Amino acid sequence: MKRLIRLNVNDKDYEIAVKPNQTLADVIRDEIGLTGTKKGCEVGECGTCTVILDGKPVNSCLVLAVQADGRNILTIEGLETDQGLHPIQQSFVEKGAVQCGFCTSGMILSAKSLLDRNPDADETEIRSAISGNLCRCTGYQKIVEAIASVKKEASPA
Amino acid sequence: MLLPEFDFHEPTTVSKVCEIMGRLREKARPLAGGTDLVVNMKKKLIRPENVVSLAKIDDLKGIVLKNGILTIGACVTAAELAESDAVVKTFDALAEGARVLGSPLVRNLATIAGNVVSARPAADLPPPLMACGARAVLVKASGERSVDLNHFFSGPGKTVMDSSEILTKIFIEVPQGRYGSSYIKLGVRQTLEISLVNVAAFISLDGPGGSIGKVRIVLGSVGPTPIRAKSAEEVLRGQLPSDALLARAAEAASADAQPIDDFRGSAEYRRDMVGVLTRRALTAALDRATSR
Repeated sequence: MKRLIRLNVNDKDYEIAVKPNQTLADVIRDEIGLTGTKKGCEVGECGTCTVILDGKPVNSCLVLAVQADGRNILTIEGLETDQGLHPIQQSFVEKGAVQCGFCTSGMILSAKSLLDRNPDADETEIRSAISGNLCRCTGYQKIVEAIASVKKEASPA
Repeated sequence: MLLPEFDFHEPTTVSKVCEIMGRLREKARPLAGGTDLVVNMKKKLIRPENVVSLAKIDDLKGIVLKNGILTIGACVTAAELAESDAVVKTFDALAEGARVLGSPLVRNLATIAGNVVSARPAADLPPPLMACGARAVLVKASGERSVDLNHFFSGPGKTVMDSSEILTKIFIEVPQGRYGSSYIKLGVRQTLEISLVNVAAFISLDGPGGSIGKVRIVLGSVGPTPIRAKSAEEVLRGQLPSDALLARAAEAASADAQPIDDFRGSAEYRRDMVGVLTRRALTAALDRATSR
């Protein structure tokens, strides 16, 4: 039986009828239509489905949508503002940290979560923060450089 | 990867959970962080008709250090454990286990109760909890009991819990005087790794420069459950700490392990590493006991 849940996604309220066996990743993609959140392994190992749930990055493939009732969710689509790309997004573009792009949403959200807490994170802290996000293209170096270069510039929005 | 269908329950009190679990028993599974249950359901390894979420029960949250007892609610996440001042200042081993569990994303979901009741032989929290002398509170409609985690696991995925019980909290008595603990995990990578071998150690000292009082050494991933290295503990108990003594204890721990060959590593390698890790864990626990 479907249940009515309320989600706040990227500062916008949604009221959605979901089945208990739908994951948050499914609802964000299929019901809300925000496909920047990717589905890779679907068992919590690749991090492509990363969203920020009540301020903390999580694997949305492991959260039931019904469990997210009443909570705040930030997806990759929520980062860009009228002023343009978020500084982390801008840095990924400038440093060539995006190749196929499949891991990028999750990488940027994990990076944002780190830099919000610790704007001066060093390389070890950066590598640790994105360690739940797998990239098969870049070898991580440019991603780490992109995140490291953000903190030296203007503070994130 | 679709989840099988199930009925979803979201009680707001422990007594309501107990009523549901008492009625549905094997037909229901409690859901805490979901990092184990949801994965196993997606893989169709289990197919419960009912899922009982514990997320809306405030009594299962929070870490409290009061009257010499550290109490950790069932739904406390690995990330909360790792960052808790109360945990860090009392039991280093537990904070160390929480810091290496899964990935940063998983640690924001996975709970202490889930990591304990899933009873995986390589899990990161049971060895430090056992070494520090933790007890679990198990509750059902007809009453509650507390069980020493050293007598909790009965095999891979198996515990002494019955299907109508839920684990509501874990508590550890904070020892007086000089003591220290440590947890070390060995894997081939830093994150999302299942231990090849892990070792937790707890040591108390009888005064500054004194002999070893209480000692517990727990070996993970080298048996069907985490196991106590009893003969290694025997080597240490009542003795004055020294490098030679730790070396003898490490050797005894290697003999206590019951490793198997699998794709992660050979039994021989694991047995060797038990010795290395035991020595390092004991050294760290002793340093902490000395400086406390």
